[in-house]
Amino acid sequence: MALFPVQGIFEHDFVVVLVPIDDEDPMTLVAEKIAHHTVGRRVAPQPRPMQVRHQGNTLAPDATVVSAGVAPMDVLQVSYT
Amino acid sequence: MPRLARSEWYDLTRDMNWTLSYVSDEDVWPQDLSNSYGIPTEKWWGWDEPYKITYPEYVHNQVGKDASVYSINAVLSRSRIFEELDPGWKSAILAHYGAIAVPEYLAGIGEARMGRFGRAAAWRNMATYGTLDETRHGQIQTYFPYGLLAKEPRADWAHKTMHTNEWGAIAARSLFDDMFTANDAVSTAIQLTFTFETGFTNLQFLGMAADAMKVGDVDFGALISSIQTDEARHSQQGEPTVKILIANGQGEVAQKLVDHMFWRSWHVFALLTGLSMDYYTPLEHRTHSFKEFMEELIVKQFMDQFRDFGLEVPWYWKEHFLPELDWYHHALHLGVWFWRPTVWWNPDAGVSPAEREWLEEKYPGWNDSFGQYWDVITANVRDGHPELTLPETFPTICNMCQIPLVNPAGFNAGRLAHPEPLIVDRDGRRLLFCSEPCKWVYEQNPARFAGQLSLVDRFLAGHIQPPTMEGALAYMSLSLAEMGQDATNYAWAFEKQLAVPGT
Repeated sequence: MALFPVQGIFEHDFVVVLVPIDDEDPMTLVAEKIAHHTVGRRVAPQPRPMQVRHQGNTLAPDATVVSAGVAPMDVLQVSYT
Repeated sequence: MPRLARSEWYDLTRDMNWTLSYVSDEDVWPQDLSNSYGIPTEKWWGWDEPYKITYPEYVHNQVGKDASVYSINAVLSRSRIFEELDPGWKSAILAHYGAIAVPEYLAGIGEARMGRFGRAAAWRNMATYGTLDETRHGQIQTYFPYGLLAKEPRADWAHKTMHTNEWGAIAARSLFDDMFTANDAVSTAIQLTFTFETGFTNLQFLGMAADAMKVGDVDFGALISSIQTDEARHSQQGEPTVKILIANGQGEVAQKLVDHMFWRSWHVFALLTGLSMDYYTPLEHRTHSFKEFMEELIVKQFMDQFRDFGLEVPWYWKEHFLPELDWYHHALHLGVWFWRPTVWWNPDAGVSPAEREWLEEKYPGWNDSFGQYWDVITANVRDGHPELTLPETFPTICNMCQIPLVNPAGFNAGRLAHPEPLIVDRDGRRLLFCSEPCKWVYEQNPARFAGQLSLVDRFLAGHIQPPTMEGALAYMSLSLAEMGQDATNYAWAFEKQLAVPGT
Protein backbone atom coordinates (compact mmCIF):
# COMPACT_ATOMS: atom_id res chain seq x y z
CA MET A 1 0.00 0.00 0.00
CA ALA A 2 1.60 3.23 -1.10
CA LEU A 3 0.42 6.61 -2.20
CA PHE A 4 0.77 7.01 -5.89
CA PRO A 5 0.27 10.26 -7.89
CA VAL A 6 -1.43 10.09 -11.27
CA GLN A 7 -2.77 12.63 -13.73
CA GLY A 8 -6.51 12.31 -14.04
CA ILE A 9 -8.64 13.43 -16.94
CA PHE A 10 -12.37 13.00 -16.65
CA GLU A 11 -14.13 12.91 -20.00
CA HIS A 12 -15.53 16.35 -20.94
CA ASP A 13 -13.68 18.15 -18.13
CA PHE A 14 -11.31 20.97 -19.10
CA VAL A 15 -8.22 20.32 -17.03
CA VAL A 16 -5.73 17.62 -16.03
CA VAL A 17 -5.75 17.08 -12.26
CA LEU A 18 -3.22 15.61 -9.87
CA VAL A 19 -4.85 12.76 -7.98
CA PRO A 20 -3.25 10.73 -5.19
CA ILE A 21 -4.35 7.11 -5.35
CA ASP A 22 -3.11 3.92 -3.73
CA ASP A 23 -1.16 1.36 -5.73
CA GLU A 24 -3.54 -1.35 -4.54
CA ASP A 25 -6.68 0.55 -5.56
CA PRO A 26 -8.90 -1.26 -8.08
CA MET A 27 -9.94 0.77 -11.09
CA THR A 28 -13.47 1.24 -9.76
CA LEU A 29 -11.99 3.15 -6.84
CA VAL A 30 -9.46 4.99 -9.02
CA ALA A 31 -12.35 6.18 -11.20
CA GLU A 32 -14.19 7.48 -8.14
CA LYS A 33 -11.12 9.27 -6.83
CA ILE A 34 -10.58 11.07 -10.15
CA ALA A 35 -14.29 11.78 -10.61
CA HIS A 36 -14.39 13.35 -7.14
CA HIS A 37 -12.52 16.39 -8.50
CA THR A 38 -14.72 16.81 -11.56
CA VAL A 39 -18.18 15.27 -11.43
CA GLY A 40 -20.76 17.54 -9.85
CA ARG A 41 -18.21 20.35 -9.94
CA ARG A 42 -17.76 21.02 -13.66
CA VAL A 43 -19.25 17.94 -15.31
CA ALA A 44 -22.82 16.86 -14.66
CA PRO A 45 -23.16 13.41 -13.03
CA GLN A 46 -24.68 10.53 -14.96
CA PRO A 47 -26.24 7.35 -13.53
CA ARG A 48 -23.81 5.05 -15.29
CA PRO A 49 -20.70 3.14 -14.24
CA MET A 50 -17.29 4.57 -15.01
CA GLN A 51 -14.27 3.08 -16.73
CA VAL A 52 -10.57 3.90 -16.72
CA ARG A 53 -8.35 4.05 -19.77
CA HIS A 54 -4.56 3.96 -19.70
CA GLN A 55 -2.45 4.47 -22.81
CA GLY A 56 -5.44 3.73 -25.02
CA ASN A 57 -6.50 0.54 -23.22
CA THR A 58 -9.59 0.20 -21.07
CA LEU A 59 -8.58 -1.38 -17.77
CA ALA A 60 -10.59 -4.13 -16.08
CA PRO A 61 -12.65 -2.81 -13.12
CA ASP A 62 -10.82 -5.10 -10.70
CA ALA A 63 -7.33 -4.42 -12.06
CA THR A 64 -5.14 -2.58 -9.55
CA VAL A 65 -2.74 0.24 -10.26
CA VAL A 66 0.17 -2.17 -9.86
CA SER A 67 -1.31 -5.04 -11.88
CA ALA A 68 -2.23 -2.68 -14.72
CA GLY A 69 1.35 -1.39 -14.95
CA VAL A 70 0.47 2.23 -14.29
CA ALA A 71 3.55 4.37 -13.57
CA PRO A 72 3.60 7.46 -11.31
CA MET A 73 2.22 10.53 -13.09
CA ASP A 74 0.79 8.46 -15.93
CA VAL A 75 -2.43 9.80 -17.39
CA LEU A 76 -5.61 7.92 -16.49
CA GLN A 77 -8.72 8.89 -18.42
CA VAL A 78 -12.07 8.25 -16.81
CA SER A 79 -15.39 8.23 -18.61
CA TYR A 80 -18.88 6.92 -18.23
CA THR A 81 -19.40 3.58 -19.97
CA MET B 1 26.92 75.53 -24.40
CA PRO B 2 27.21 73.95 -27.86
CA ARG B 3 25.23 75.80 -30.46
CA LEU B 4 25.28 73.03 -33.04
CA ALA B 5 22.09 71.40 -34.20
CA ARG B 6 21.69 67.88 -32.81
CA SER B 7 22.09 66.30 -36.25
CA GLU B 8 25.54 67.87 -36.52
CA TRP B 9 26.98 66.14 -33.45
CA TYR B 10 24.71 63.23 -32.55
CA ASP B 11 26.35 60.53 -34.67
CA LEU B 12 29.84 61.53 -33.56
CA THR B 13 29.10 61.48 -29.85
CA ARG B 14 27.00 58.34 -29.71
CA ASP B 15 29.30 56.19 -31.85
CA MET B 16 32.29 55.79 -29.54
CA ASN B 17 33.30 52.44 -30.97
CA TRP B 18 36.96 51.49 -31.18
CA THR B 19 39.14 48.49 -31.90
CA LEU B 20 40.39 46.80 -28.75
CA SER B 21 44.14 46.21 -28.41
CA TYR B 22 44.90 45.53 -24.74
CA VAL B 23 42.12 42.99 -24.18
CA SER B 24 40.23 40.52 -26.34
CA ASP B 25 36.66 40.99 -27.49
CA GLU B 26 35.71 37.88 -25.49
CA ASP B 27 37.03 39.53 -22.32
CA VAL B 28 34.91 42.60 -22.93
CA TRP B 29 31.82 40.89 -24.32
CA PRO B 30 31.78 37.35 -22.86
CA GLN B 31 29.47 35.14 -24.87
CA ASP B 32 27.25 34.33 -21.89
CA LEU B 33 26.51 38.02 -21.51
CA SER B 34 26.55 39.05 -25.15
CA ASN B 35 26.30 36.33 -27.76
CA SER B 36 27.53 37.76 -31.07
CA TYR B 37 26.46 34.60 -32.90
CA GLY B 38 29.79 34.77 -34.70
CA ILE B 39 29.26 38.21 -36.21
CA PRO B 40 32.53 40.21 -36.24
CA THR B 41 32.78 43.21 -33.93
CA GLU B 42 32.96 45.88 -36.64
CA LYS B 43 29.78 44.57 -38.28
CA TRP B 44 27.88 45.54 -35.14
CA TRP B 45 28.99 49.14 -35.49
CA GLY B 46 26.37 49.67 -38.19
CA TRP B 47 23.66 49.32 -35.50
CA ASP B 48 21.39 52.33 -35.99
CA GLU B 49 18.40 53.12 -33.80
CA PRO B 50 15.30 54.40 -35.60
CA TYR B 51 14.33 56.79 -32.78
CA LYS B 52 17.09 59.14 -31.72
CA ILE B 53 17.26 61.08 -28.49
CA THR B 54 19.93 62.87 -26.47
CA TYR B 55 20.36 62.72 -22.73
CA PRO B 56 19.15 66.32 -22.12
CA GLU B 57 16.09 65.62 -24.24
CA TYR B 58 15.49 62.36 -22.42
CA VAL B 59 15.64 63.98 -18.99
CA HIS B 60 13.44 66.86 -20.10
CA ASN B 61 10.79 64.47 -21.45
CA GLN B 62 10.85 62.15 -18.46
CA VAL B 63 10.53 64.93 -15.91
CA GLY B 64 7.45 66.15 -17.74
CA LYS B 65 5.93 62.68 -17.84
CA ASP B 66 6.53 62.05 -14.14
CA ALA B 67 5.25 65.49 -13.12
CA SER B 68 2.08 64.88 -15.08
CA VAL B 69 1.27 61.36 -14.00
CA TYR B 70 2.19 61.77 -10.33
CA SER B 71 0.07 64.95 -10.20
CA ILE B 72 -2.92 63.04 -11.53
CA ASN B 73 -2.31 60.35 -8.94
CA ALA B 74 -2.01 62.88 -6.12
CA VAL B 75 -5.35 64.44 -7.00
CA LEU B 76 -7.28 61.25 -7.75
CA SER B 77 -6.04 59.41 -4.68
CA ARG B 78 -8.21 61.81 -2.65
CA SER B 79 -11.29 60.92 -4.66
CA ARG B 80 -13.56 57.88 -4.51
CA ILE B 81 -12.83 56.85 -8.08
CA PHE B 82 -11.15 53.58 -7.11
CA GLU B 83 -13.93 52.52 -4.73
CA GLU B 84 -16.50 53.04 -7.46
CA LEU B 85 -14.72 51.08 -10.16
CA ASP B 86 -16.26 47.87 -11.45
CA PRO B 87 -15.06 44.87 -9.34
CA GLY B 88 -13.85 43.07 -12.45
CA TRP B 89 -11.75 46.02 -13.52
CA LYS B 90 -10.20 46.21 -10.05
CA SER B 91 -9.27 42.55 -10.46
CA ALA B 92 -7.66 43.29 -13.81
CA ILE B 93 -5.45 46.03 -12.43
CA LEU B 94 -4.49 44.08 -9.29
CA ALA B 95 -3.49 41.13 -11.48
CA HIS B 96 -1.53 43.54 -13.67
CA TYR B 97 0.35 45.16 -10.79
CA GLY B 98 1.34 41.83 -9.28
CA ALA B 99 2.56 40.36 -12.54
CA ILE B 100 4.23 43.46 -13.96
CA ALA B 101 5.49 45.95 -11.35
CA VAL B 102 8.56 44.10 -10.03
CA PRO B 103 9.37 42.52 -13.42
CA GLU B 104 9.77 46.11 -14.67
CA TYR B 105 12.71 46.41 -12.25
CA LEU B 106 13.98 43.07 -13.55
CA ALA B 107 13.69 44.39 -17.09
CA GLY B 108 16.00 47.16 -15.90
CA ILE B 109 18.62 44.43 -15.33
CA GLY B 110 18.16 43.27 -18.93
CA GLU B 111 18.41 46.83 -20.23
CA ALA B 112 21.49 47.49 -18.06
CA ARG B 113 23.08 44.35 -19.48
CA MET B 114 22.50 45.71 -22.98
CA GLY B 115 23.77 49.09 -21.77
CA ARG B 116 27.07 47.44 -20.84
CA PHE B 117 27.30 44.45 -23.19
CA GLY B 118 25.44 45.72 -26.26
CA ARG B 119 27.78 45.34 -29.22
CA ALA B 120 27.66 48.92 -30.48
CA ALA B 121 28.00 52.24 -28.69
CA ALA B 122 24.75 53.55 -30.18
CA TRP B 123 22.97 50.51 -28.77
CA ARG B 124 24.54 50.91 -25.33
CA ASN B 125 23.38 54.52 -25.39
CA MET B 126 19.77 53.53 -26.10
CA ALA B 127 19.86 50.74 -23.53
CA THR B 128 21.02 53.18 -20.86
CA TYR B 129 17.82 55.14 -21.42
CA GLY B 130 15.98 51.83 -21.36
CA THR B 131 17.48 51.06 -17.95
CA LEU B 132 16.21 54.38 -16.61
CA ASP B 133 12.82 53.74 -18.23
CA GLU B 134 12.35 50.37 -16.61
CA THR B 135 13.44 51.68 -13.23
CA ARG B 136 10.81 54.41 -13.58
CA HIS B 137 8.19 51.82 -14.55
CA GLY B 138 9.05 49.72 -11.53
CA GLN B 139 8.82 52.73 -9.24
CA ILE B 140 5.58 54.11 -10.62
CA GLN B 141 3.83 50.73 -10.68
CA THR B 142 4.72 50.04 -7.07
CA TYR B 143 3.96 53.60 -5.93
CA PHE B 144 0.45 53.79 -7.39
CA PRO B 145 -0.76 50.54 -5.78
CA TYR B 146 0.99 51.59 -2.56
CA GLY B 147 -1.42 54.52 -2.54
CA LEU B 148 -4.33 52.08 -2.80
CA LEU B 149 -3.41 50.04 0.27
CA ALA B 150 -5.93 51.72 2.58
CA LYS B 151 -8.66 50.94 0.06
CA GLU B 152 -7.46 47.56 -1.20
CA PRO B 153 -4.92 45.60 0.89
CA ARG B 154 -4.30 43.18 -1.99
CA ALA B 155 -2.51 46.05 -3.78
CA ASP B 156 0.39 44.90 -1.57
CA TRP B 157 0.90 42.15 -4.13
CA ALA B 158 2.30 44.69 -6.57
CA HIS B 159 5.49 44.33 -4.57
CA LYS B 160 4.91 40.96 -2.96
CA THR B 161 4.04 38.67 -5.87
CA MET B 162 7.48 38.15 -7.35
CA HIS B 163 8.89 37.36 -3.92
CA THR B 164 6.51 34.43 -3.46
CA ASN B 165 6.01 30.94 -4.85
CA GLU B 166 2.47 31.72 -5.97
CA TRP B 167 1.97 29.69 -9.17
CA GLY B 168 1.39 32.71 -11.43
CA ALA B 169 4.53 34.29 -9.99
CA ILE B 170 6.48 31.12 -10.82
CA ALA B 171 5.15 31.27 -14.40
CA ALA B 172 5.96 34.97 -14.76
CA ARG B 173 9.45 34.61 -13.26
CA SER B 174 10.16 31.66 -15.54
CA LEU B 175 9.21 33.75 -18.57
CA PHE B 176 10.97 36.94 -17.55
CA ASP B 177 14.15 35.21 -16.35
CA ASP B 178 14.35 33.47 -19.73
CA MET B 179 13.58 36.69 -21.60
CA PHE B 180 15.82 39.22 -19.86
CA THR B 181 16.98 38.62 -16.29
CA ALA B 182 19.12 35.63 -17.33
CA ASN B 183 19.57 36.34 -21.03
CA ASP B 184 22.52 37.64 -23.02
CA ALA B 185 22.39 41.15 -24.49
CA VAL B 186 21.89 40.19 -28.14
CA SER B 187 19.17 37.65 -27.40
CA THR B 188 17.50 40.12 -25.02
CA ALA B 189 17.23 42.68 -27.80
CA ILE B 190 15.44 40.13 -30.00
CA GLN B 191 13.33 38.50 -27.30
CA LEU B 192 12.46 41.37 -24.95
CA THR B 193 12.41 44.43 -27.16
CA PHE B 194 11.56 43.02 -30.61
CA THR B 195 9.25 40.15 -29.66
CA PHE B 196 7.69 40.99 -26.31
CA GLU B 197 7.62 44.79 -26.22
CA THR B 198 7.13 45.67 -29.88
CA GLY B 199 4.94 42.66 -30.46
CA PHE B 200 2.81 42.43 -27.35
CA THR B 201 3.08 45.02 -24.59
CA ASN B 202 3.26 48.14 -26.72
CA LEU B 203 -0.11 47.38 -28.28
CA GLN B 204 -1.49 45.97 -25.05
CA PHE B 205 -0.63 49.14 -23.14
CA LEU B 206 -2.35 51.27 -25.78
CA GLY B 207 -5.46 49.10 -25.47
CA MET B 208 -5.37 49.03 -21.66
CA ALA B 209 -4.98 52.80 -21.44
CA ALA B 210 -8.02 53.28 -23.68
CA ASP B 211 -10.04 50.73 -21.69
CA ALA B 212 -9.02 52.38 -18.40
CA MET B 213 -10.31 55.73 -19.58
CA LYS B 214 -13.59 54.16 -20.71
CA VAL B 215 -14.23 52.53 -17.34
CA GLY B 216 -13.31 55.79 -15.57
CA ASP B 217 -9.95 54.68 -14.16
CA VAL B 218 -8.13 57.86 -15.13
CA ASP B 219 -5.30 57.11 -12.69
CA PHE B 220 -4.40 53.76 -14.25
CA GLY B 221 -4.99 55.09 -17.78
CA ALA B 222 -2.54 57.94 -17.22
CA LEU B 223 0.00 55.53 -15.71
CA ILE B 224 -0.17 53.07 -18.58
CA SER B 225 -0.04 55.80 -21.24
CA SER B 226 3.03 57.27 -19.61
CA ILE B 227 4.80 53.91 -19.56
CA GLN B 228 3.81 53.16 -23.14
CA THR B 229 5.59 56.25 -24.45
CA ASP B 230 8.87 54.89 -23.02
CA GLU B 231 8.19 51.40 -24.36
CA ALA B 232 7.59 52.77 -27.84
CA ARG B 233 11.13 54.21 -27.80
CA HIS B 234 13.26 51.57 -26.10
CA SER B 235 11.50 48.64 -27.78
CA GLN B 236 13.15 49.81 -31.00
CA GLN B 237 16.44 48.29 -29.94
CA GLY B 238 15.21 45.05 -31.41
CA GLU B 239 14.82 46.15 -35.00
CA PRO B 240 18.47 47.14 -35.71
CA THR B 241 19.66 44.01 -33.88
CA VAL B 242 17.48 41.79 -36.06
CA LYS B 243 18.73 43.62 -39.14
CA ILE B 244 22.37 42.99 -38.24
CA LEU B 245 21.76 39.30 -37.57
CA ILE B 246 19.98 38.89 -40.91
CA ALA B 247 22.50 40.97 -42.89
CA ASN B 248 25.30 38.79 -41.54
CA GLY B 249 23.80 35.42 -42.33
CA GLN B 250 22.27 34.75 -38.92
CA GLY B 251 18.62 35.03 -39.92
CA GLU B 252 17.99 31.53 -38.61
CA VAL B 253 19.23 32.58 -35.19
CA ALA B 254 16.88 35.57 -35.17
CA GLN B 255 14.03 33.37 -36.33
CA LYS B 256 14.61 30.83 -33.58
CA LEU B 257 14.86 33.51 -30.89
CA VAL B 258 11.58 35.07 -32.08
CA ASP B 259 9.80 31.70 -32.40
CA HIS B 260 10.91 30.75 -28.89
CA MET B 261 9.85 33.97 -27.18
CA PHE B 262 6.68 34.62 -29.16
CA TRP B 263 5.26 31.34 -27.92
CA ARG B 264 6.27 31.87 -24.30
CA SER B 265 4.96 35.43 -24.34
CA TRP B 266 1.69 34.32 -25.90
CA HIS B 267 0.92 31.91 -23.07
CA VAL B 268 1.46 34.42 -20.27
CA PHE B 269 -0.28 37.12 -22.35
CA ALA B 270 -3.33 34.87 -22.74
CA LEU B 271 -3.35 34.32 -18.98
CA LEU B 272 -3.22 38.01 -18.07
CA THR B 273 -4.74 39.92 -20.96
CA GLY B 274 -7.13 37.26 -22.22
CA LEU B 275 -8.91 37.11 -18.88
CA SER B 276 -8.94 40.88 -18.46
CA MET B 277 -10.37 41.64 -21.89
CA ASP B 278 -13.02 38.91 -22.17
CA TYR B 279 -14.13 38.45 -18.58
CA TYR B 280 -12.95 41.24 -16.24
CA THR B 281 -13.62 44.38 -18.32
CA PRO B 282 -17.25 45.48 -17.85
CA LEU B 283 -19.34 44.32 -20.79
CA GLU B 284 -20.47 47.80 -21.78
CA HIS B 285 -16.86 48.95 -22.11
CA ARG B 286 -15.52 46.10 -24.22
CA THR B 287 -14.58 47.17 -27.72
CA HIS B 288 -12.68 44.11 -28.96
CA SER B 289 -12.82 40.54 -27.88
CA PHE B 290 -9.39 39.19 -26.96
CA LYS B 291 -9.37 37.16 -30.17
CA GLU B 292 -10.20 40.23 -32.25
CA PHE B 293 -7.48 42.20 -30.46
CA MET B 294 -4.99 39.42 -31.16
CA GLU B 295 -5.98 39.04 -34.82
CA GLU B 296 -6.39 42.70 -35.70
CA LEU B 297 -3.41 44.11 -33.82
CA ILE B 298 -0.89 41.58 -32.50
CA VAL B 299 -1.06 39.04 -35.32
CA LYS B 300 -1.24 41.71 -38.02
CA GLN B 301 1.75 43.56 -36.62
CA PHE B 302 3.79 40.38 -36.36
CA MET B 303 2.87 39.42 -39.92
CA ASP B 304 4.02 42.87 -41.09
CA GLN B 305 7.26 42.51 -39.12
CA PHE B 306 7.94 39.05 -40.45
CA ARG B 307 7.41 40.30 -43.99
CA ASP B 308 9.45 43.50 -43.53
CA PHE B 309 12.44 41.68 -42.07
CA GLY B 310 12.32 38.59 -44.23
CA LEU B 311 11.48 36.31 -41.33
CA GLU B 312 9.06 33.40 -41.63
CA VAL B 313 5.99 33.00 -39.47
CA PRO B 314 6.89 30.63 -36.61
CA TRP B 315 6.63 26.94 -37.49
CA TYR B 316 3.73 26.47 -35.04
CA TRP B 317 1.67 29.42 -36.33
CA LYS B 318 -1.19 27.70 -38.19
CA GLU B 319 -1.26 24.36 -36.44
CA HIS B 320 -0.86 25.45 -32.84
CA PHE B 321 -0.99 29.22 -32.29
CA LEU B 322 -4.03 30.35 -34.31
CA PRO B 323 -6.28 27.52 -33.03
CA GLU B 324 -5.42 28.47 -29.42
CA LEU B 325 -6.98 31.91 -29.97
CA ASP B 326 -10.37 30.20 -29.86
CA TRP B 327 -10.06 28.32 -26.60
CA TYR B 328 -6.87 28.65 -24.55
CA HIS B 329 -7.67 31.77 -22.50
CA HIS B 330 -11.25 30.59 -21.90
CA ALA B 331 -9.84 27.46 -20.27
CA LEU B 332 -7.34 29.48 -18.24
CA HIS B 333 -10.11 31.77 -17.08
CA LEU B 334 -12.20 28.83 -15.88
CA GLY B 335 -9.13 27.42 -14.12
CA VAL B 336 -8.20 30.71 -12.45
CA TRP B 337 -11.79 31.20 -11.28
CA PHE B 338 -12.13 27.63 -9.96
CA TRP B 339 -8.71 27.77 -8.26
CA ARG B 340 -9.39 31.38 -7.13
CA PRO B 341 -7.88 30.90 -3.63
CA THR B 342 -4.52 30.51 -5.40
CA VAL B 343 -4.44 34.02 -6.90
CA TRP B 344 -4.04 37.45 -5.31
CA TRP B 345 -6.99 39.09 -7.02
CA ASN B 346 -10.72 38.38 -7.01
CA PRO B 347 -11.52 36.68 -10.31
CA ASP B 348 -14.66 37.96 -11.97
CA ALA B 349 -16.57 34.99 -13.40
CA GLY B 350 -17.91 37.20 -16.18
CA VAL B 351 -20.61 34.70 -17.18
CA SER B 352 -23.89 36.47 -16.47
CA PRO B 353 -26.54 35.76 -19.13
CA ALA B 354 -25.65 38.95 -21.04
CA GLU B 355 -21.94 38.17 -20.86
CA ARG B 356 -22.53 34.62 -22.06
CA GLU B 357 -24.43 36.00 -25.03
CA TRP B 358 -21.46 38.22 -25.85
CA LEU B 359 -19.06 35.30 -25.50
CA GLU B 360 -21.18 33.16 -27.82
CA GLU B 361 -21.30 35.98 -30.37
CA LYS B 362 -17.54 36.52 -30.27
CA TYR B 363 -16.63 32.84 -29.97
CA PRO B 364 -19.33 30.80 -31.73
CA GLY B 365 -19.67 27.49 -29.92
CA TRP B 366 -18.55 28.91 -26.54
CA ASN B 367 -21.80 27.77 -24.88
CA ASP B 368 -21.32 24.21 -26.08
CA SER B 369 -17.66 23.99 -25.17
CA PHE B 370 -17.27 26.23 -22.10
CA GLY B 371 -20.83 27.11 -21.12
CA GLN B 372 -21.45 23.53 -19.99
CA TYR B 373 -18.86 23.84 -17.19
CA TRP B 374 -20.36 27.12 -16.06
CA ASP B 375 -23.86 25.57 -16.10
CA VAL B 376 -22.77 23.05 -13.45
CA ILE B 377 -20.95 25.74 -11.47
CA THR B 378 -23.94 28.10 -11.65
CA ALA B 379 -26.27 25.35 -10.40
CA ASN B 380 -23.94 24.67 -7.45
CA VAL B 381 -23.87 28.36 -6.53
CA ARG B 382 -27.66 28.68 -6.79
CA ASP B 383 -28.18 25.49 -4.78
CA GLY B 384 -26.01 26.77 -1.96
CA HIS B 385 -23.01 24.51 -2.56
CA PRO B 386 -20.10 26.93 -2.98
CA GLU B 387 -17.77 24.22 -1.64
CA LEU B 388 -18.29 22.38 -4.93
CA THR B 389 -16.91 25.40 -6.79
CA LEU B 390 -13.58 25.21 -4.97
CA PRO B 391 -10.60 22.92 -5.59
CA GLU B 392 -9.44 19.97 -3.49
CA THR B 393 -6.38 19.19 -5.58
CA PHE B 394 -4.04 20.84 -8.10
CA PRO B 395 -4.04 20.83 -11.83
CA THR B 396 -0.86 19.40 -13.31
CA ILE B 397 1.44 22.00 -14.82
CA CYS B 398 3.50 22.46 -17.99
CA ASN B 399 7.23 22.21 -17.33
CA MET B 400 7.93 24.97 -19.85
CA CYS B 401 5.33 27.73 -19.45
CA GLN B 402 4.52 26.73 -15.83
CA ILE B 403 0.82 27.18 -16.58
CA PRO B 404 -1.74 24.49 -15.66
CA LEU B 405 -2.50 21.87 -18.28
CA VAL B 406 -5.87 22.62 -19.83
CA ASN B 407 -5.40 20.38 -22.87
CA PRO B 408 -8.76 18.61 -22.34
CA ALA B 409 -10.53 21.95 -22.98
CA GLY B 410 -8.76 22.26 -26.34
CA PHE B 411 -9.74 18.70 -27.17
CA ASN B 412 -13.37 19.27 -26.18
CA ALA B 413 -13.44 22.44 -28.29
CA GLY B 414 -12.24 20.43 -31.29
CA ARG B 415 -8.89 22.22 -31.50
CA LEU B 416 -6.56 19.50 -30.18
CA ALA B 417 -6.25 15.92 -31.37
CA HIS B 418 -6.14 14.47 -27.87
CA PRO B 419 -6.71 15.65 -24.28
CA GLU B 420 -3.46 14.35 -22.75
CA PRO B 421 -0.40 16.51 -22.15
CA LEU B 422 2.85 15.61 -23.89
CA ILE B 423 5.09 13.49 -21.67
CA VAL B 424 8.86 13.25 -21.95
CA ASP B 425 10.88 11.04 -19.60
CA ARG B 426 14.37 12.53 -19.40
CA ASP B 427 17.20 11.82 -16.96
CA GLY B 428 14.92 10.03 -14.53
CA ARG B 429 12.41 12.86 -14.49
CA ARG B 430 8.94 12.99 -16.00
CA LEU B 431 8.35 16.25 -17.85
CA LEU B 432 4.89 17.43 -18.86
CA PHE B 433 4.21 19.84 -21.69
CA CYS B 434 1.00 21.56 -22.70
CA SER B 435 1.92 21.78 -26.37
CA GLU B 436 4.43 20.94 -29.08
CA PRO B 437 5.86 24.49 -29.04
CA CYS B 438 6.46 24.40 -25.26
CA LYS B 439 8.15 21.01 -25.67
CA TRP B 440 10.19 22.43 -28.56
CA VAL B 441 11.35 25.44 -26.54
CA TYR B 442 12.44 23.16 -23.69
CA GLU B 443 14.27 20.77 -25.98
CA GLN B 444 16.18 23.59 -27.69
CA ASN B 445 18.15 23.99 -24.48
CA PRO B 446 17.28 21.42 -21.79
CA ALA B 447 20.17 22.46 -19.53
CA ARG B 448 18.74 25.98 -19.34
CA PHE B 449 15.34 24.80 -18.11
CA ALA B 450 16.03 21.55 -16.25
CA GLY B 451 16.49 23.29 -12.91
CA GLN B 452 13.00 24.76 -12.96
CA LEU B 453 10.50 22.91 -10.80
CA SER B 454 6.81 23.43 -11.39
CA LEU B 455 4.55 23.79 -8.39
CA VAL B 456 3.50 20.14 -8.87
CA ASP B 457 7.17 19.04 -9.04
CA ARG B 458 7.71 20.85 -5.74
CA PHE B 459 4.65 19.20 -4.22
CA LEU B 460 5.81 15.73 -5.25
CA ALA B 461 9.37 16.45 -4.08
CA GLY B 462 8.10 17.25 -0.58
CA HIS B 463 8.85 20.96 -0.67
CA ILE B 464 5.26 21.76 0.27
CA GLN B 465 4.34 20.79 3.82
CA PRO B 466 1.83 19.70 4.81
CA PRO B 467 1.13 18.21 1.34
CA THR B 468 -2.41 19.55 1.21
CA MET B 469 -4.25 22.44 -0.43
CA GLU B 470 -3.81 24.40 2.80
CA GLY B 471 -0.08 23.64 2.79
CA ALA B 472 0.16 24.73 -0.83
CA LEU B 473 -1.68 28.00 -0.19
CA ALA B 474 0.70 28.75 2.67
CA TYR B 475 3.65 27.83 0.39
CA MET B 476 2.28 30.40 -2.07
CA SER B 477 2.20 33.02 0.76
CA LEU B 478 -1.57 33.36 0.50
CA SER B 479 -3.32 34.05 3.81
CA LEU B 480 -7.07 33.66 4.12
CA ALA B 481 -7.56 37.42 3.71
CA GLU B 482 -5.47 37.48 0.53
CA MET B 483 -6.93 34.49 -1.31
CA GLY B 484 -9.05 35.37 -4.28
CA GLN B 485 -12.81 35.23 -3.98
CA ASP B 486 -15.53 35.66 -6.58
CA ALA B 487 -15.34 39.34 -7.52
CA THR B 488 -19.10 40.00 -7.31
CA ASN B 489 -20.01 37.50 -4.60
CA TYR B 490 -21.71 35.31 -7.25
CA ALA B 491 -24.17 38.00 -8.40
CA TRP B 492 -23.78 36.72 -11.98
CA ALA B 493 -25.22 33.32 -11.01
CA PHE B 494 -28.52 34.87 -9.96
CA GLU B 495 -29.04 37.22 -12.89
CA LYS B 496 -31.94 36.21 -15.07
CA GLN B 497 -31.95 36.05 -18.82
CA LEU B 498 -33.90 39.06 -20.09
CA ALA B 499 -37.03 38.11 -22.00
CA VAL B 500 -36.87 39.00 -25.67
CA PRO B 501 -39.75 41.41 -26.49
CA GLY B 502 -42.48 39.83 -28.59
CA THR B 503 -41.65 36.26 -27.62
